[in-house]
Amino acid sequence: MIAYLVRHYIFTLAVLKDAGKKKEAVSLGNRARLPSVSILIPAFNEELVIGRLLQRMCELTYPVDRLQILVIDDASTDSTGKIAEEFSKLHSQIEVLHRSEDEGRRGKASALNAGLNFVKGEIVLCFDADYYPQRDIVEQLAKEFEDPRIGAVQGRVTVLNEPENIVTRLVALERIGGYRIDQQARDRLGLIPQFGGTVGGFRRDLLKSLGGWDESILAEDTDITFRVYLSGYKIRYVNEAECYEEAVESWRAYWKQRYRWARGHMQCAFKHVFQVLKSKNLRFRERLDALFLLNVYFMPVFVLFSWLISIPLLFLGPPPWLSLGWAAGVFSVYSFVGNFAPFFEVGIGAYLDGRTRAHWLVSLLVFTFLYNIPICTKALVDLLISKASGRNSVPWDKTIHSGNGNSYITKENGYKPKTLRCGMI
Amino acid sequence: MRHSSPVQGWIFVSEKRRERPDCVGGLTYEPIAMGDQKLELRSSHIVLGFLVAAVFSCAILFLHDVSNESVFMLTAFNLLFVSLTFLLNGSLATKVLLLSIGNIIGVLWVLLFSMFIRTVANYLGAAFNGLYLILGPFVNLVWIVTFFSLSLTVLANAKTGKQGLKLDN
Repeated sequence: MIAYLVRHYIFTLAVLKDAGKKKEAVSLGNRARLPSVSILIPAFNEELVIGRLLQRMCELTYPVDRLQILVIDDASTDSTGKIAEEFSKLHSQIEVLHRSEDEGRRGKASALNAGLNFVKGEIVLCFDADYYPQRDIVEQLAKEFEDPRIGAVQGRVTVLNEPENIVTRLVALERIGGYRIDQQARDRLGLIPQFGGTVGGFRRDLLKSLGGWDESILAEDTDITFRVYLSGYKIRYVNEAECYEEAVESWRAYWKQRYRWARGHMQCAFKHVFQVLKSKNLRFRERLDALFLLNVYFMPVFVLFSWLISIPLLFLGPPPWLSLGWAAGVFSVYSFVGNFAPFFEVGIGAYLDGRTRAHWLVSLLVFTFLYNIPICTKALVDLLISKASGRNSVPWDKTIHSGNGNSYITKENGYKPKTLRCGMI
Repeated sequence: MRHSSPVQGWIFVSEKRRERPDCVGGLTYEPIAMGDQKLELRSSHIVLGFLVAAVFSCAILFLHDVSNESVFMLTAFNLLFVSLTFLLNGSLATKVLLLSIGNIIGVLWVLLFSMFIRTVANYLGAAFNGLYLILGPFVNLVWIVTFFSLSLTVLANAKTGKQGLKLDN
């Protein structure tokens, strides 16, 4: 816990130090020499949001003749495939891959692997169906591949439906901390920025040499992050490549999503931790950060465990080998400092984003932290049980999108929020 | 370590920072989501901030009825507050004022809370220690994180007051 708090603190300071520097924008340069890019969009029953994304894909500033947009209709039962087909008839860069019921509905990784067989571009980007990217996002992401050491890139995710309710507002704050500070700091400090599964991409050849995505892992993005690093490449985080997502809107949906992330992350921890320790392609600091990243979803479980053992210790008295003074010191550091570091990180991230009132909700993140304790505990217990029983396959519990994010986008110049504008600040 | 050779002929020309692109179809949804808050890092603010924080921390040591844990907590608050907020935009006077208010609130909180703990512990006995161990951090979080958040609002508004009004309209 102390190590994590120090890490949060260092990350916040690293980003603050970087905040004063100007960022240079990019333009398309010589059109004839731009890399060809394929965009994969896996979609299962996304009729409420897929149209919005595809319309946005048609508005990208990247040359159409260098772009391939492949929608993978994963045996949807709604009109997702139909909507995608209509777009593909009007726009030559859009293609649709329909998967049958026998082939499909096996999770995002499976859908992406199916699409990988049809990509033509030198660079492969991925977007989830509920996302809404900025128009120059392809250039922002693709430029990083000029560096031959870079095997993958990750852009920034911002919440589109933030004013919807308290859940979306808290998720938005989490995103600010996770991307504006965490990912940014890891990129600047030469650590391990993570590919987040969307708003990012890879060199096609690297992806194919890695065998695509691992379909047995729920967090296929974390898994491929480590496989990229273990193969000798790096991942670059691009904060200027911004894309909006439709965040979960209920605590139930939040549970399902985070359970999937936690369990998948833990699967990756079991799979990669020893490889990370032994890898010659990672520097010491990368190895250290990799261990932090792999074990992050175990922390809520450790907190619960520490609470459970501390109470009987107080009644029974500590064993001789555990000095009460030392234990009190550790508990004190955790109690009075450790659990504040993530909040400070999020607060600074919101400040750097120019927010003036979003900070007021930062202290409410304690509830999401508490909520994550049973989520991660259940994920770990289920994982251990499945490992013991030999049942490794887990059904993909997809996040349901309501399409409410559509109401935050208007065709006119100007944002018309559903709530008061102050709710957005 | 393997590297692929750079793909021949890719050109991405950097140019001077242009106006913020319309991220989401021309609308002004979250105008500063791209992190446009420019910082002017002032090391003098940090140094003075730590000096002031040291004065407060020493003063707290002389207070009666303040436990060691509370002293440690207030010292940690001063350290984190100075090292993070004194780097931000805003006048030194504002930052020192916020730090002072934070320490006053912290001391008052500690004194009130310690009175509460003593009273409750008299009734609940040893069982209360366990309860305090678990709930204590969250109780302290109420004032520390909340105060930090409000301070960020004050500092953000100090520089961007006019701009904030423009965004609101």
